[in-house]
Amino acid sequence: MYTKLQNKELYLLVLVLGLFLCITALGGGLFGQSGPWFLQWQHKAFAGLCHQDAQRSFWIGGIPMAVCSRCLGIYSSFAALWILFPLYTEPIGTIKGNRKKILTGVVLLNMADVVGNGLGFWENTLLSRFLMGSLIGMSAACILACGCIGTQQQKEENYGTVRTSH
Amino acid sequence: MEQSEQVINTNASYWPSVGIAALIFSLLTSTLQLITGYIQINSEPSGSMFSPAMFSGIAICLIGAFGGMVAVWHYAREYQVTMKLGKGALIGFLTGVVMLLIGIALNKIWLLIDPEFTQKLMDSTMANFEAMDVPENQKQQMMDGAAQQFENNQSIVTQLIWGIPMFGILNLLTGMLGVSLFAREKENT
Repeated sequence: MYTKLQNKELYLLVLVLGLFLCITALGGGLFGQSGPWFLQWQHKAFAGLCHQDAQRSFWIGGIPMAVCSRCLGIYSSFAALWILFPLYTEPIGTIKGNRKKILTGVVLLNMADVVGNGLGFWENTLLSRFLMGSLIGMSAACILACGCIGTQQQKEENYGTVRTSH
Repeated sequence: MEQSEQVINTNASYWPSVGIAALIFSLLTSTLQLITGYIQINSEPSGSMFSPAMFSGIAICLIGAFGGMVAVWHYAREYQVTMKLGKGALIGFLTGVVMLLIGIALNKIWLLIDPEFTQKLMDSTMANFEAMDVPENQKQQMMDGAAQQFENNQSIVTQLIWGIPMFGILNLLTGMLGVSLFAREKENT
């Protein structure tokens, strides 16, 4: 099935980057690192990208992960789906034609969840935040694969071009 | 005539799009950081885990990754071009790096206007931790972590070492996402 990918080099590049982000996001607990968790390189790497609140993160081996549960959902679901694409291409076809709507929808859904929780309308949990983040990660993986990686079956499709007026 | 225009468009520089997207997202994140920072400084310590600064962190997490996508969108729209993923990845990566550099510069400029901003924010954060209803050792660990983060945030080298790869990779991916959404071109195999 791997041989059916249109652009193997690109697939591998994104696979490596996605796995790097995902493994880094798991934090030092996965590797049994000692010392204060906030000084571990994984936490420093994500310091500018995530609020890294230990209370809103999953823990491994007594150490909080380097990102919050929502960010973990984004990175892990992206990497997991990307690994599966050569074996299971159905999601790529499913999302076709609705890419912008789907991505906008899941981002707005996450923003609504953050704001609603912040204003006290509801209380989200580690799992709910992880699942919400997973929607973004899976959508991003499908959109990237749909438009650019594709499969041989999609190869003959007529790709659109950008048309704008000035 | 149309053919020559197409050649010009294909070779058009992407740096204006990179600069515009980076500037917009740097301003957005820096402004948000300042607003939430001053809200926290001027509020009484609540002991809540969900402080304005943390909200800022979540928002930056969502916003900061989309610079690459916006740069690709702007480039494709401005020059009416399609592009390959590699170019989108490059535009995204560069946007992430420039965004980081502008963000650091804006942060330093603001410290010239209000030199005590970081200290006031740190004092406010520590006061908030003090008011939390958590075990003393956990409280101390959180305060140490916050102090360490404030220290790290002051170092430009640390920000560059960790910021360039992370902002670069994330915006590289969203740059490719931008190509998929706004500037698709059939890939040759």
